[in-house]
Amino acid sequence: MSLTDCKGIMVVIETADGAAKSVGLEMLTPAKEIASAKGTDVTAVMIGEGLEDAAKQAASYGADKIITVDNNDLKAYSEKHAAVLKELIEKYKPETVLIGATQNGKDIAPIVAGKLGLGCVTDVVSMKLGDDGKIVFTCPMYSGNILSDNVIDTVPQIATVRGGSFKKGEPKDVELPEEVVIAESMPYGDIKTTIKETVKEISEAVNLEDAQVIVSGGRGMGSAENFKLVEELANVLGGVVGATRAPVEDGWISRAHQIGQSGKIVAPKLYIACGISGATQHVTGMVGSDYIVAINKDEDAPIFDIANVGIVGNVMQVIPAMIEEIKKLKA
Amino acid sequence: MEILVCVKQVPDDSVKVVLNGSGQPAIDKIAPVANAFDTYALEMAARFKEANGGTITAVSIGPDEFKTSLKNCLAVGADKAYVVTDASYDGSDSLATAYVLSKAVAKIEELEGVKFDIIFCGKETTDSTTALVGPELAEKLGVGVVTCVTELALNGDKIDAKQETEEGYNTIEVAMPAVLTINKPHYDPRYPTMKSKMAARRKQIPTLTSADLGTDASLVGAANSAVKTISLSEPTKKQAGIKINEKTFEETFAKAMAVMTEAKIF
Repeated sequence: MSLTDCKGIMVVIETADGAAKSVGLEMLTPAKEIASAKGTDVTAVMIGEGLEDAAKQAASYGADKIITVDNNDLKAYSEKHAAVLKELIEKYKPETVLIGATQNGKDIAPIVAGKLGLGCVTDVVSMKLGDDGKIVFTCPMYSGNILSDNVIDTVPQIATVRGGSFKKGEPKDVELPEEVVIAESMPYGDIKTTIKETVKEISEAVNLEDAQVIVSGGRGMGSAENFKLVEELANVLGGVVGATRAPVEDGWISRAHQIGQSGKIVAPKLYIACGISGATQHVTGMVGSDYIVAINKDEDAPIFDIANVGIVGNVMQVIPAMIEEIKKLKA
Repeated sequence: MEILVCVKQVPDDSVKVVLNGSGQPAIDKIAPVANAFDTYALEMAARFKEANGGTITAVSIGPDEFKTSLKNCLAVGADKAYVVTDASYDGSDSLATAYVLSKAVAKIEELEGVKFDIIFCGKETTDSTTALVGPELAEKLGVGVVTCVTELALNGDKIDAKQETEEGYNTIEVAMPAVLTINKPHYDPRYPTMKSKMAARRKQIPTLTSADLGTDASLVGAANSAVKTISLSEPTKKQAGIKINEKTFEETFAKAMAVMTEAKIF
């Protein structure tokens, strides 16, 4: 592909049960800004089955063009999605391809990058247009302790974007754009993997990314029994339960609740950290919260360095007292 | 079963990395270790070999110092190890690294007179955390890949790999040869014994260079990499607020509630 042929930004929007995942809609925000500065446009791409509603969502959040590849074969994410995306990139020649840094996004990006020999960056937390017209992608390294600014020399270029890094725009009540391409099938090429079984171990819907209030527990909660207090506090505040890696590994709570480098990245209005020391691995995932309350008995815990209010005390005393007070306030 | 495990030596990830005076990561005082996910990969490979027989070779691309972690690999499951060292590879991005690894695979296969059935990589490294090299290597080799694997079983001439997903897991069948990228399994890597350490110390770790691999100089190194890092920074620190630690729990709690109520957070 030659440089002059490629233009525009392709935003790959992952769907779940027919709805666009948040990160897909979030990416439209920087994509539109950069596309408008470069005088080009944004194409949303969706690969799956039953994509009509998701296509409307993409349009309402500002995608100029929409391509859906809608096929029963593509219902669940697999290697076939990578084959389809490769075809779409070759056919539509975008300058930049943005993919949500979900697990599937981080699977598809390097496969497509490898197939087409394209430069790729991972977990972009911010991007801006440089003076030379190149996009500068900021990515975390060393558990988020260092940020690297990168440019990519290939065209097209691929980036996976971390959820929660950009704010969704205001949805507009619009009709689907005129340019909607619906492809029912594409060649998959040589497929080397087969999904034999899919097991959903996590049945509850845990929407940490969109939560306004998150109450999180760490190793300092001490036991599965004590961890229930975190859930109780989250309940009285109408919030969602989060956790660090330790309680997940010890089986106190499911992996769906994990926040941090290897879990979800969140930015609620209120974040209450209970018995969490504040290792970078976790802090990376929640430091963007508007207001942070930390409860820890160790007064030197690093979590206090980023907390708006640090309460030095035993979680088993503080949390029940807080639950009582909040119940009174809400009564 | 011929198994290759790709290992990168990284600074101990339990130590916080900051930038030094010249704006580079200050890692020279941090102990070098094998990347955690690569150690999980080696342990999974070792268990797979115990069940199905075979040979495990470990390979690293990096300076001679990487032999330190390769020696450790030889003490905890690897039978052989190679280090790929060449100044022209410095600063290679993931795509260039995958290219060099693909050439190393071919060279080691030629030297050992084998064909690798499974190539294990960690799902990501703890330094640059791109999670790109494994799948890119699979594409270079033209073989299948399964990412985020936590278990595997031999199924004739195929592998059944358990892939962790956001909601649970998939069981994915992949034809060999295949690349697997490994996530943390439910067990920890084994520790070396005095005996295995002694045996590892006696083993040679051959060095391969660009001349041995026959890599194309225009495809490797910082200058020829697609991804170019233009600057590094530390994230802006969030300002710490108030820390409350009064004499009694009651005083601490009352003060904390007063601050939080005033901030109207509930």
